[in-house]
Amino acid sequence: MKIILKRLKKRNKLSYISFWIIIFLYLSALLADLISPYPYNKQFRDYPLCPPTRIHFFDYNRKFHLRPFVYEIRLVNPALNKYEIVKEKKCPIYFLVKGERRKILGLFYSDRYLFGTKEGKVFLFGTDIHGRDIFTRILYGARISLSIGIIGVSISFFLGFLIGGISGYFGGKIDNFLMRLVEIFMMFPSFYLMLSLRAVFPLNLSSFQIYLLIVIILSLIGWAGLARIIRGMVLSIKEEEYILAARALGLSTFRIIFKHIIPNTFSYTITAITLSIPGYILGESALSLLGLGIQEPYPSWGNMLSVCVGNLRVLSNAPWMLTPGFFIFLTIICFNFLGDGLRDVLDPKNW
Amino acid sequence: MKKILELKNIYVGNEEIKILKNINFEVKKGEVLSIVGESGCGKSMTLRTIIKLLPKNIKILKGKILFNELDITEIQDMERIRGKEIGIIFQEPSSYLNPLFTIGNQIEEAIKNEKSKKLCKEKVFKILQEVGLPENVYYLYPHQLSGGMQQRAMIAMAIVNNPFLLLADEPTTALDVTTALGIINLLKNLVATHNLSVIFVTHDISLARFISDTIIVMYAGFIIEKGTSEEIYNQPLHPYTKKLINCLPEKYRKRERILTIEGEVPSLKNLPSGCPFSNRCDFKIDICEKYLPGEIKFENRIVRCFKYGNIVES
Ligand SMILES: Nc1ncnc2c1ncn2[C@@H]1O[C@H](COP(=O)(O)OP(=O)(O)OP(=O)(O)O)[C@@H](O)[C@H]1O
Ligand SMILES: [Mg+2]
Repeated sequence: MKIILKRLKKRNKLSYISFWIIIFLYLSALLADLISPYPYNKQFRDYPLCPPTRIHFFDYNRKFHLRPFVYEIRLVNPALNKYEIVKEKKCPIYFLVKGERRKILGLFYSDRYLFGTKEGKVFLFGTDIHGRDIFTRILYGARISLSIGIIGVSISFFLGFLIGGISGYFGGKIDNFLMRLVEIFMMFPSFYLMLSLRAVFPLNLSSFQIYLLIVIILSLIGWAGLARIIRGMVLSIKEEEYILAARALGLSTFRIIFKHIIPNTFSYTITAITLSIPGYILGESALSLLGLGIQEPYPSWGNMLSVCVGNLRVLSNAPWMLTPGFFIFLTIICFNFLGDGLRDVLDPKNW
Repeated sequence: MKKILELKNIYVGNEEIKILKNINFEVKKGEVLSIVGESGCGKSMTLRTIIKLLPKNIKILKGKILFNELDITEIQDMERIRGKEIGIIFQEPSSYLNPLFTIGNQIEEAIKNEKSKKLCKEKVFKILQEVGLPENVYYLYPHQLSGGMQQRAMIAMAIVNNPFLLLADEPTTALDVTTALGIINLLKNLVATHNLSVIFVTHDISLARFISDTIIVMYAGFIIEKGTSEEIYNQPLHPYTKKLINCLPEKYRKRERILTIEGEVPSLKNLPSGCPFSNRCDFKIDICEKYLPGEIKFENRIVRCFKYGNIVES
């Protein structure tokens, strides 16, 4: 692992940086409870569609303050969502400020927040129609959107390795049967398959059930193509002479499959894993966009974006509502770069 | 001396193709036996029969393989024997090493009955030294080694468990002459130090003479001649062996044309009913095309030719 990172750093800077951005995103998602300045469903009725708050070190008199502060803002025109800065009212930002009690990481309760103001509000990325802090919701939404990728990929790769590996190694009737099954799954255009699978289940499920459902649907769509490719690779690798040599050394079948055949698919599969994670993030967004995904008030990047769709007023007056889109983009780009880099680095011939 | 391995009446193939036919030979402790013959005559198949790693569609049809008095054709868990009691090395070392793992890693994997990691590693360093590789090879990947070093690494893997028998399938064919000689000398040393028995497959009969005690000549899946290496080289009996030796470059002076054996090896799928060499043989008589000659024994020699007696294969 360490060696791979070192090589990545040396050979492909871009993918090395991407790796750390991804780690950063996942850590922020994990620690959303600790970082976010507000609870994710807290609605500030007086601040709908509030633009991102600017954080200042200098006030209007050009005086420097060591402690950063924000100006209080006030809604002046509710119809047009026009806000005005109250110049007299400086609200310094404090660490560990008091707020509403909430549970942290499901472990303990606390009423302290990492940062915040005593009066006034900090909305780093602005607020949505209901006056909820978008920064907070992106942090919580990342939990859904980012974990769906990882869990979905794990499930479909598990299935892919299992089915593809068995199919390729044992061949014959088993292979024939499994591959026909795979073809059935591959026959449907994945988007319709996704919709019809979703349609099988009732609409009024709990958030957690929907989450599970989405993960399962997405991995059911993803595994088939993978199984096919892994089968092909196993098929050709098992004919390699080093596999014959491994058998001549008296290694067990189990060991040969898992130590010699599967690792030789890694230069492809690890890349494929990183490159397919974006598909899951987008899949979740697509379902949420159609209102079939994670339901309000719980945020996911997809359902946060879905509010903007077809709503011109939002798009023209409150472009900050699109920040989740930026994060989806960032994640996908990073995974793509990482995948590219790993492909180079995982092949010993390139060292 | 004690017999390590004995093949009795071995037939290998399937319904369509008979690759090995009535193979009989034995290997004693510390003996080096060479198998020579043209490409496709079944040399590699003989080795793969002994460790029971035949292609999927090919089976042992008949016969016994006694290895230390145990019939290999009947046992199920060959894993117990492969690598531990019989080691094997191949022609093209680069493709027989897993490209993903370091040499050290792969030799360690070959080691049986050694639980402690540290002792395992020590053993690897010892064996590396024994096959003449520097210690740092432990950390290198196969593609970072030259062909000769790769072959030495393969040999290290094959002998690390101190097997009784080493099967070497043209281990020097892919190497240049000096590297090849290095490997041959290494094998000779190992035979002496480990009291190893070796079956050495090659198509180079003078190399076979140099390294081995006994030579077997194969043709189209038959053993057509067997004898000590000096006998085979100096007084070949079978017309095929004679021609083979006549083709050796060292038998010729400068600017002379080297003779070749005319004609084609018959395809294994439709062998003639008579002697498989009859279409290329200068001493052909009527019976050669009708019947298959059986094995004629002179003391320790065996030859399969009607020139030396009228024994017909049943
Ligand atoms: N899977 C297979 N099915 C059918 N015939 C096979 C199969 N594998 C090998 N053979 C045949 O078995 C014969 C013997 O092959 P073998 O590899 O033992 O030859 P060889 O003497 O080692 O030749 P070389 O010097 O080229 O290595 C060949 O004629 C080949 O056509
Ligand atoms: Mg061969």
